Amino acid sequence: MSALTTKLPRRASGPAEKPGRRPGGSSIDRQRRKLLVPFVGPAFIFYTVLFIVPAFAAVWISLNDWAGSGPMTFVGFSNYIQVFQDPLFLKSFGNTLLLLFVVGAVVFALAFAMTLVLRDMAAKKIVRNVIFFPHLINALVFGVLAGFIFNPGGMVNTLLKPLGVSEPPAWLAQDNIFPLIMATMVMTTTGYFTTILMAGVDRIPPYFYEDCALAGATAFQRLRYVILPLTWDVFGTCAVLWTISSIKIFEIIWVFGGSSGAGIPPTQSWTVAVYTYVTAFSGLSTPAYGAATASAIISLALVSVLVVLLRRAMRRDAIEF
Amino acid sequence: MTTLAPSTSEGAAPPPVRRRRNRGGVSPALRADHNLARSVGVFLLWVVVVVSIAMLAWIVLQAFRDTREILSSPWGMPKSFDFTNFSTAWNVSGFAMATLNSVVTTAVSSSVCVAIACPAAYYLSRVESRLTNGLSLYFIIGLGIPAQVILIPLFVMLDKVHLTDSLIGLNLVYIGLSMPFTVFLLTAFFRSLPLEMEEAAALDGASALRTFVKITLPLAKGGILTAFVLLLVSHWNETLLALTLIQSTEKYTLPVALISFVQQQTYSGADWGGLFAGLCIVILPMLVIYMWLGRRLTEGLTLGMGK
Repeated sequence: MSALTTKLPRRASGPAEKPGRRPGGSSIDRQRRKLLVPFVGPAFIFYTVLFIVPAFAAVWISLNDWAGSGPMTFVGFSNYIQVFQDPLFLKSFGNTLLLLFVVGAVVFALAFAMTLVLRDMAAKKIVRNVIFFPHLINALVFGVLAGFIFNPGGMVNTLLKPLGVSEPPAWLAQDNIFPLIMATMVMTTTGYFTTILMAGVDRIPPYFYEDCALAGATAFQRLRYVILPLTWDVFGTCAVLWTISSIKIFEIIWVFGGSSGAGIPPTQSWTVAVYTYVTAFSGLSTPAYGAATASAIISLALVSVLVVLLRRAMRRDAIEF
Repeated sequence: MTTLAPSTSEGAAPPPVRRRRNRGGVSPALRADHNLARSVGVFLLWVVVVVSIAMLAWIVLQAFRDTREILSSPWGMPKSFDFTNFSTAWNVSGFAMATLNSVVTTAVSSSVCVAIACPAAYYLSRVESRLTNGLSLYFIIGLGIPAQVILIPLFVMLDKVHLTDSLIGLNLVYIGLSMPFTVFLLTAFFRSLPLEMEEAAALDGASALRTFVKITLPLAKGGILTAFVLLLVSHWNETLLALTLIQSTEKYTLPVALISFVQQQTYSGADWGGLFAGLCIVILPMLVIYMWLGRRLTEGLTLGMGK
C-alpha cells in the first residue's frame, strides 16, 4: 500500500521521463530489444487470436447469410439493409442512443454537481467510497432488485399507499420498463464517474483556489475559469468511457423486473447488444448470424464515430500545471 | 446531518475575536463557501450514502427470511438468522457449483492475463521505437471494440475446436478480451516507475531479463496487484460471454446461474428468499475485495486518466 502512495505524487507531477531516449544505457537497451518475442509474443498471440481475428471474422460474417451451420452465402450489404429495415432493430438502436445520450447527460450533470459538492466536504472519503461501490456489482443485481421493488405489492407501492396513491402506475408494464432502466442506470453509474471526475479535480493545485480568493472571484467564476478548464481532459476521457460502455449494456435489460416468461425481455426495452444476442442465440427462430453480426458492427461503427467526434470536440491545448 | 458540514454557524463574531482553528492547516481560501444550494447538495449526498448502505443491508437481511414473509412485508426484519435460503440456494439451486466455477474461472483467467500482460507492458513501456508505438496502438484498439461484435465469431471459432461449453474456453476468452485493458494499464504503470534502479542493476551486470524479474517486478507489485484486482472484478461479473458460451448447468458461472434461477421462477413460482441469497453470493465477494483493496481499485481506474 505504502509503495503506491509514495509513487503517486511522482506520477501526478511532471511529465514521465521518456525511456529509451537517453544516450546512456544503450547496452541494456540493445539487450531489451531482443526480448521482443518472448515478452510481447504471448500477449500478442492471445490478443490477436481471441480478439482481432474474431473482429475481422465479424466483418466477414456480417456480409454473409449464415445460420451457423450449413453453407454461407455471400450477400454483400443486404444484411445491413435488412437490419435497418427491421423495426425491432430501429427500436433497439433508438434505446441504445437514449441510454448513450440521455442517461449520459444526466449522469454527467449529476456527477459534476456531486464533484463540486464533494470537493471540500467533510468526510468526503466515506461518501466517495460508498457511491463508487455500485460499479463493482453486476448490473444483473439491480435488474433483479428492480423487479422486487416495483412489483405490484412491492416496496414502492407500499410506500406510496399512505401518501394517497391508490392507483400506482404499472411500473413494470412493458412500456414503462425502459424509463425505469434508464433511471436505474443513472443511479448505478453516477458514482463511478463522480470518482473519476474527483480524481481530476483533486489534481488542481490549491494555489489556484487561493489565487481566486485573492482576486475576489465568485464561486461561478472559479468554476468557469479554473475548475472546468483544468478538468476538461478528464471530462473527455469520461465521455469516451461512457460511450464505449453504454453500447455494451446487456445484463440489466436481460433480467430487468424479473423474467417475462420466454426468457427474453420485452422488445420495448431492447438495446443493440440484446438485439445481437437474441438474433443469434435465442433458439426461437433460425439463428441469423449474418444479421446479428451486422447489428453489432453497426454499434461498433457508432462507437468509433462518436469517439472520433468526442476527441475532436474535447480537444483543447493541453494545460500544464 | 448538518453537523457534518464544516461549522456553518459562526456568523456574528463576539467582540473578543477568537480566531477559528485552522482545520488541518487548510488556508481559508480553500474552505467551502456556504450557501443554500451547497447545503442542499451535501444533504442529498448524505441521503444517497445512507440509502445505498441501507439497501445493501436490506438485501443481506432479506436473504434470511422466507419468501412468504418477504412478500407480505418487504420492510420487515428477519426473525432469526437461519441460513435456510443460503443452504437451499447452495445445494438445490446449483449455486454451489456455479460459485466454484466462478471462483476458479475468475482466479485463473485473471492471473494468467496479468502474467502474460506484464512482460508485454514492460517491453512497450521501456523500448521506444516505431514498432512498439504501433504495437501499443494495436492493443489500445481493443479497448473500443464492444464484446458483442466478437461474440458470434468467437462462438463459431471455439465450437470448431470443441471449446464451447467448456470453462477452459471461457478462461481463454476472458484472457484475450482483457488483454488490451491490462496491457494499457500496466504500460502506464511501468512508465511511472523510476528507471534509476534498473540502470543500476544493468551497471552491475544484470541481464535485461534478470533486471525485469529481480528489480522491476518487485517495484511494480502495487500496479500489478491493482490490475489483478480490476480483472477479478470484471471477470467475476462478466455475463454476456458466459451466457453465450456455456450451456450445461454444471458449468454455469454465477451470473448465468442467477439468470437461469430468475427464469425458472416463472414456472416454479417466486422464491425471493433464495434469490436474495443468490444476490448476496454475487455481491459479497466484491464487497470483501472492496473493503480490503478498495483504494487500489479506485486508483487503478483513475490511473493514466488525465495524461
